[in-house]
Amino acid sequence: MRNNLKFNLPDGYKEQQLIRELADQYAIKKEPAISENFAIYDTFDWRLFNKSLVLYRSGNKLFLRKLAKSEIIHTIEITSLPVFIWDFPDGKLKKQLEPIIKMRTLLKLVEVHCRSKTYRILNQDGKTVTRLVYEKILPSREKYAPALAAHLWLKPVKGYPKYSQNLAKRFEETGFTISKKEDIYFKVLDVVDKKPGSYSAKLNIQLDPDMRSDDATKVILHFLLQIMRINEASIEKDLDTEFLHDFRVAIRRTRSALGQIKDVFPMGTTNRFKKDFAFVGELSNQLRDLDVYLLKEDTYKAMLPPVLQKDIDPLFEYLRQKRSRALKNVLKGLKSKKYGKILHDWEAFLNEPRKDSDTAANAKLPVIYLARKRIYMKYQGVVKAGNLIIENTEDEMLHVLRIQCKKLRYLMEFFSSLFPLKKINVLIEQLKKLQGNLGDFNDLCVQEDYLFNITRELPATHQQLKKTLVAIGSLIGTLDRERKTVKDAFAKTFTDFVSSKNQGLFRELFTLKP
Amino acid sequence: MATLALYSNKGGVGKTAAAVNLSYLAAQAGAKTLICDLDPQSSTTYYFRVKHRLKSQAKGFIKGRKHLYKSIKGTDYENLDLLPADFSLRNLDATFAKLRRSKQQLRKILKPFKNQYDLIILDCPVTISILAENILNAVDYTLVPLIPTTLSVRTHRQLLSFCKKNNYKTGKIYTFFSMVDRHKKMHHDLIRSVSKEFDGVLQSYIPYLAQIERMGIYREPVVAFAPTSAASKSYQNLWDKVQKTILSPEKRK
Repeated sequence: MRNNLKFNLPDGYKEQQLIRELADQYAIKKEPAISENFAIYDTFDWRLFNKSLVLYRSGNKLFLRKLAKSEIIHTIEITSLPVFIWDFPDGKLKKQLEPIIKMRTLLKLVEVHCRSKTYRILNQDGKTVTRLVYEKILPSREKYAPALAAHLWLKPVKGYPKYSQNLAKRFEETGFTISKKEDIYFKVLDVVDKKPGSYSAKLNIQLDPDMRSDDATKVILHFLLQIMRINEASIEKDLDTEFLHDFRVAIRRTRSALGQIKDVFPMGTTNRFKKDFAFVGELSNQLRDLDVYLLKEDTYKAMLPPVLQKDIDPLFEYLRQKRSRALKNVLKGLKSKKYGKILHDWEAFLNEPRKDSDTAANAKLPVIYLARKRIYMKYQGVVKAGNLIIENTEDEMLHVLRIQCKKLRYLMEFFSSLFPLKKINVLIEQLKKLQGNLGDFNDLCVQEDYLFNITRELPATHQQLKKTLVAIGSLIGTLDRERKTVKDAFAKTFTDFVSSKNQGLFRELFTLKP
Repeated sequence: MATLALYSNKGGVGKTAAAVNLSYLAAQAGAKTLICDLDPQSSTTYYFRVKHRLKSQAKGFIKGRKHLYKSIKGTDYENLDLLPADFSLRNLDATFAKLRRSKQQLRKILKPFKNQYDLIILDCPVTISILAENILNAVDYTLVPLIPTTLSVRTHRQLLSFCKKNNYKTGKIYTFFSMVDRHKKMHHDLIRSVSKEFDGVLQSYIPYLAQIERMGIYREPVVAFAPTSAASKSYQNLWDKVQKTILSPEKRK
């Protein structure tokens, strides 16, 4: 037996009684009781929970373990709590967390109190051969606070298996039950009313194929509005860049839904909100651009020859200043009357009962028909545009195709619950690959332009700045070479996307069977 | 992952006490640590209250892997495991000598453990024979306790010239002062001159203290049974220096 076992004591069976009974047979040494707070951390969108990981701090140490397992994967000592991944000291913990939490900030989910007593079972040499830890989790330090949980841990010591095996057997015979899987994590989060995994920016919309199209569209739009509301509150706190990002994606999807799910609402309403959300989106364009460049700081530096790496710093300094002004503008926008009214009217529209007097053409249509029709049409548009590019690759056309693909992707995601999950996911994955290529190409074009234009804005005052300009030039060169590589890869990526297998699957899912 | 040998070609310099306390401090700091007692006298094993016995003795040691893994014992402290010594290890030198690639044997034996532990500390017997070469080949760094006396310093010079002659990197050998008597002027003088003469001298002193000798009575690291004592503070200071100077990630690149 190598793993720790967690037992529940039978009702009314006290820990002291257990120790008294064990003392007849074993030499036991009691360690000083430990009483400390521990706090659990995760990102706003539960990235660690989604990977079944629990990150918690106790005293000056930070621990990572698997959910439902007690073994610690990594421990580090900390002087102050890391907020972003780049605050972590280099090491295994950082390496494991980096691809998971990326640019998101760690938030404290809950802090609870733990009182534990360790009893060491000794052999005749006075050597510890197994440990018993009685642990009580309390919502606060208060002495009489009711415990959330109390367990007895049996922790074997490597090389002395017999002792722990005997004890485990004895406990089970006495009526102790092994408590499996129920991780204290859930109980503790429940105290503060937090539901693990409750927020995700991914679309998770359940629709019924027979639903009226206008009702189904409202369900989709309602979901997106919620995402906007949830994130909007945190943009002001400026904890990380992703609150704004999720907020903006929800806006973009809303606009796309209004444009692509055609003729479900009265034209006047649709046109008004299309314009309104274009305005809402524009409010934060500049801020998001700056976020993207600042997040790329390390990547950009790595693209530069070592001699130039420091010279680019003034650019990022300038962008940081610009960003703080941009943030102020966004916050002003979000507090403006106009924004308030748009969101208020939008919410009212989504909540109002449908009026059958002024129905639009597709309003009553069962949503499955509309979904199939719209997706298939969009798909055909993508295929046609792509084939034209293969013959004659123009940058502008790649840009148009990128937008088309995005619209198709959103449609497929809005309606994914109406189709066989596995099959539609295969197609979404295929589309993602094509989008990846087009997205990279677009990003590189935009970045080159942006960097080129920013050189005009930089206050040309001193010698240092000339070096910065050289560094920017070098960066543009590297980006340009990369852009050509990406462009060359388009033909192959697109041919893969329109493979006969994919075409068949698109036809199968989205065309009306005779 | 790092491997560190507490080694000296002179006896009674405080290798074992340093190995025991450093491994304890490393484990307390969260590093999964293995301390290997290579000394047939088995003092480290004794300090941790473990029986000095390897399953299938030195034979098992040389076969390594699961034969050796089975012998590892958890200590009284979380994160700290011990590979106990065995009296049969006294012939390790002769056994290694008979094998092919006789100087790489220990390295081969320790290799499978490198993934399982963050830090492996070797407590080595006094040797400058083939076993010493095995140690130098097996570890990333060597830490030599140095008593500030003429003989001790002379032995250290011998070690360095041995390494140079046999192409072992002296840059990976670090020293610290051990059993320092603050009342002796000679200790002060030697500390000063030695720090100039050798590279890799950690500015850390373990004083000559009765408290350290009491480890034999308590059978625990001094840092565990008297955490606020002067002895503990000196080991804590040594551990800080080892971390910063030897084990820090920038250093290890």
